[in-house]
Amino acid sequence: MKMEFFGDGPALVIEGEYRLLIVADLHFGIEADLAAHGLHFRSRSTDRLERLLKIIDMADPDMLVLLGDIKHSIPSITRQEYDELPVILDTLRSRIPLKVFPGNHDIGIEPYLRDAELQPKDGTILDGVGYLHGHMYPSPNLTGHLMVIGHHHPLLLLKDEVGCALQTPAYLRAGLDTDKLGMNTLVENTPPTRVLFMPAFNEIAGYDILQIVKNPFSPLSRFMKTEDAEIILADGTYIGSLSSLQSDETA
Amino acid sequence: MKQLELLDPKVQVCIKKRGFSVLSEAQKQAIPLIHDGNHVVLIAPTGTGKTESAMFPVFNALLSMPSRGGFKAIYITPLRSLNRDILARMQWWCRELGLTVGVRHGDTPMGERRKQALAPPDLLITTPETFQALFMGKRLRKHLTQVRFVIIDEIHELAGSKRGAQLVVALERLHVYAGEFQRIGLSATVGNPDEIARFLCGKRPFSVVQVPVAKQLDITVRFVGDDFQKQTEILSKILKREGSTLVFVNTRVTAEALGHALYEHGDVEVHHGSLSKEVRIDAEERFKKGEIRILICTSSMELGIDIGRVDHVIQFGSPREVSRLVQRVGRAGHQLNTISRGTILATGFDDLLESLVIVKKAKANEIERVVPQRCAADVLANQVAGIAVEYGEIEQSKIREILERTSVFADCGTLLDDVCRQMEEHLLIRLDGTRIITTARARRYLSGNLSMIHDERKVPIFDMVSRRTVGTLDESFVVGWVHTGVVFITKGQLWRVIEIADGKLTVEPAKKALGELPSWEGEQIPVPFSVAREVGEIRRRRNISAYTTERDSIRFAQMFLTEMDKNRSLVPSDHLITLENTDEGVVCNICAGHKTNEALGRVLSILISARYGTTVGLELDAYRMLLHLPSSIRSSDVRDFLLSLEPSHMPGILRLALKRTALFKWKLVQIAKKFGAIDPDADYEKISIQRLLEYFEGSVVQQETFRELLSEYMDIDTAAEVVNKIKRGDISVALGPFSMIGAGGLFSSRDLVPPPTADQAVLATLKRRLDQDDVFLACMNCRDWKIRTAVSRVPDHPQCPKCGARLIAALKPYEDELYLAMRKPRKTQADHAIEQRLLKNANIVLSSGKKAVIALSARGVGPENASRILATLTDGDAFYREIMKAERNFIQTHRYWS
Repeated sequence: MKMEFFGDGPALVIEGEYRLLIVADLHFGIEADLAAHGLHFRSRSTDRLERLLKIIDMADPDMLVLLGDIKHSIPSITRQEYDELPVILDTLRSRIPLKVFPGNHDIGIEPYLRDAELQPKDGTILDGVGYLHGHMYPSPNLTGHLMVIGHHHPLLLLKDEVGCALQTPAYLRAGLDTDKLGMNTLVENTPPTRVLFMPAFNEIAGYDILQIVKNPFSPLSRFMKTEDAEIILADGTYIGSLSSLQSDETA
Repeated sequence: MKQLELLDPKVQVCIKKRGFSVLSEAQKQAIPLIHDGNHVVLIAPTGTGKTESAMFPVFNALLSMPSRGGFKAIYITPLRSLNRDILARMQWWCRELGLTVGVRHGDTPMGERRKQALAPPDLLITTPETFQALFMGKRLRKHLTQVRFVIIDEIHELAGSKRGAQLVVALERLHVYAGEFQRIGLSATVGNPDEIARFLCGKRPFSVVQVPVAKQLDITVRFVGDDFQKQTEILSKILKREGSTLVFVNTRVTAEALGHALYEHGDVEVHHGSLSKEVRIDAEERFKKGEIRILICTSSMELGIDIGRVDHVIQFGSPREVSRLVQRVGRAGHQLNTISRGTILATGFDDLLESLVIVKKAKANEIERVVPQRCAADVLANQVAGIAVEYGEIEQSKIREILERTSVFADCGTLLDDVCRQMEEHLLIRLDGTRIITTARARRYLSGNLSMIHDERKVPIFDMVSRRTVGTLDESFVVGWVHTGVVFITKGQLWRVIEIADGKLTVEPAKKALGELPSWEGEQIPVPFSVAREVGEIRRRRNISAYTTERDSIRFAQMFLTEMDKNRSLVPSDHLITLENTDEGVVCNICAGHKTNEALGRVLSILISARYGTTVGLELDAYRMLLHLPSSIRSSDVRDFLLSLEPSHMPGILRLALKRTALFKWKLVQIAKKFGAIDPDADYEKISIQRLLEYFEGSVVQQETFRELLSEYMDIDTAAEVVNKIKRGDISVALGPFSMIGAGGLFSSRDLVPPPTADQAVLATLKRRLDQDDVFLACMNCRDWKIRTAVSRVPDHPQCPKCGARLIAALKPYEDELYLAMRKPRKTQADHAIEQRLLKNANIVLSSGKKAVIALSARGVGPENASRILATLTDGDAFYREIMKAERNFIQTHRYWS
């Protein structure tokens, strides 16, 4: 297994037998929700799609895995999504086969997807790696695998010597407490089960990693082993362990 | 009084009845001009009957107009309190003359507003903002068709601001309904009367009536030292001798402190903007009635609110600007032809010299110019929205016609198109070819954005530890810059943000600061370039006695300079810039005023931060700046930067420097709000607003942010001129020891100038981690010594304390078991392989020392990778970049993921 990081996504290529391009949390249609919160911007769907197409061209994968929250509005589809979504999905599938793991924002997306594209919400193994959106308990079948998930939109706050800070998308890799997650671990010599939290592709979504750890909002974030968690920037720069960041914070 | 003969007998009767026996100079000149229908700007000190000069001929004209049918004259003042004052004065005249008068502003009750809509008064007194609202109602718009006069009071207060730019567009919007009407501007003394008149009238012909102020001023400067107790004692003595006195101070904090210190006088009140309206009005009333004799006030009392007789004005500390001094002292002797008496109490070396220069300039009538804001994009957006709501649908060319009649939006190129496109982006208007169409949101936007004043929500700062609110921050500042984990400074203390939620900022006291952080303790009054230059000249020529005869002042200034000489300190002046090393960084003594130093300081900071990859903290005032720098950067380095500056590159460098600062993001959010992108009550909690702001990259919103900062907060052209002077040798640059001048002064604004790329923060994080990482050092010679320690504690060339060898392997903490294998008497095949590996490791440490240890403690870096990194022979940042590359490669491999 080999990984390639695309910082401009953020996107990830995982290469085993095949080259899979992984992208999480596109949140097409987020602008309608922003407006409801008093922030008024035109739809940036085209820009976001262009960015994704460019990465597909660069990465040249065999398949595109969308880790959920393709769309944004819940509980129903907005006018913006009704207009945009079919075009977006058609544009993508005209280039490359799709696999979609629906997320909590994807209510009502099924009619827009083909049968072979739609994947189980609690995840499945593709080419040796587990995938799911990450808002619910993972399927026990994923035990002993690396699970790549979206949903959490991790951002890292970086500080330079004087304290000037910036937030940047980052990956969080951690071990899992499989017992508490109700995952089958009876088999001896099971390789470790790990989770990789993927940053959101949507350019304005984001939560501080330390907040995700402090106030977990999903089974996987609640039952990860924070002591061996490590952080990697969107472009693949290794940052270090979560615990070293936490000690910075309290220093 | 022959000027009055022009007027209707009824008006003449009233004038006599009101007790006007002589006309002031202002009135004599202005009345005939206004009577003849000219656009007039009347510039005269307060208390010279400006309002009457304007209103006698207006009353005269109103008498001959048919009653009913709408507003005939609109009187606009910048403040509601002034409105109330003017209303009280106008009511008498209107009653006598049988005219109707009304006031309309934010505080006007609904009933009164409705009455005005049904039966509009002849004379309407209002504020610029409420004037805007008149265009929103159908019935009110109809009442605008009869307007023959618009009088703008205290126009100097509006002309330089966005409020003013907004107002003059509204005047041209009024023109669409009313046709040409007569414009009358009333102004305090300014340096550029014609420009103010053009601001009011656009391209129309105008007359300026100017009554010189200088001969009526009698101002002395007294040196009172820098001890607050002594200052108040002297002040107290002066106050006992004087009659009714206004004491002007520059900050609210000083106002409160003085109020407290002078409490025992019993006849003292404090008046400033943070006090409630009731408290302020009460203080004004009591002063007017003579119940209190002393009013301590800030700029809140500068404008012409009638507070009765003032015998004497005291300015506590330098007034910083000539216009401010003239305005403030002009409050004294509120009677015609009397002399205004004022005293400045100077509190220190800078303060004394500055006060003397300002008094001299006031006497020479060298008042600052008021520069109108040209092509302010957010004002334009606000007005386009207003016009869209007013008309529902309108051709862009019609709006252009309105704009071209103003002086501030004529010839702004494609600005209107850019602004309209941006507004469409934020769904505030719709564009259909060249037509602009209103939206449902536009009306709602307008009701929240009638004003160009950023009247902002204040976000409370809640301290988790003490469970209390410790202060507030401007919302736009919070939104644009503050996020979880950030440390900031307020009330002199450091705080770390824990959470931004439910409209409040939860913080905890920060134990350690990583550096000085941005703070704005209220906006400061900037000292102009010309004043700072002349202060420098006095320092050079030591000619203080040419400015004052007061013995204390002369003695103090001479003593101060003698002391500088004794310490062998160089005295920085208008011809000399000195750079001094301090523990915190480098002080640059430059006599150039706030705005110029702000521009120059930021340019220097960004160059230094880019070269050394460190953030630079900047604090400055009119005479010096302190650059917070790592101790390795000294004054000679800063001199090299200063000498190598290329004036033509400076504007570009400054723009780059601004982009990542807190100040820039704060302004960007404020301006985005005026474009309708962000509602006043927006909820920012769910998204990364920092990244949302990137949508403004290259937009007209960003452009306006630059325009405002570069015109209002800093002066890059003058900064470039200073650099030119250095290049020509008119100003020399010298290094000197830390001096009394360098140490003096309170630093007003501070900001951080981060390096231009984000890369530095990543590198800093990497360095911090590697420093903190534990390493396992083990001797490969005697094989009998091992120690676990932090990388930062490893000496440059680690050595075994037992055998003295430098053949030390640097292992990861979890690799300590490998070392145990070395001591086995019998080694397996695998053990031999490990031994080879450790020897290789130790040999790298032997040849490269601590650098090798650092490389070897990186994630996934073994002896092979380490030698590859070390072979690049890089140092400093480049060395760490090599480590970063190696780690990045490792992260991509199966080894990391399985």
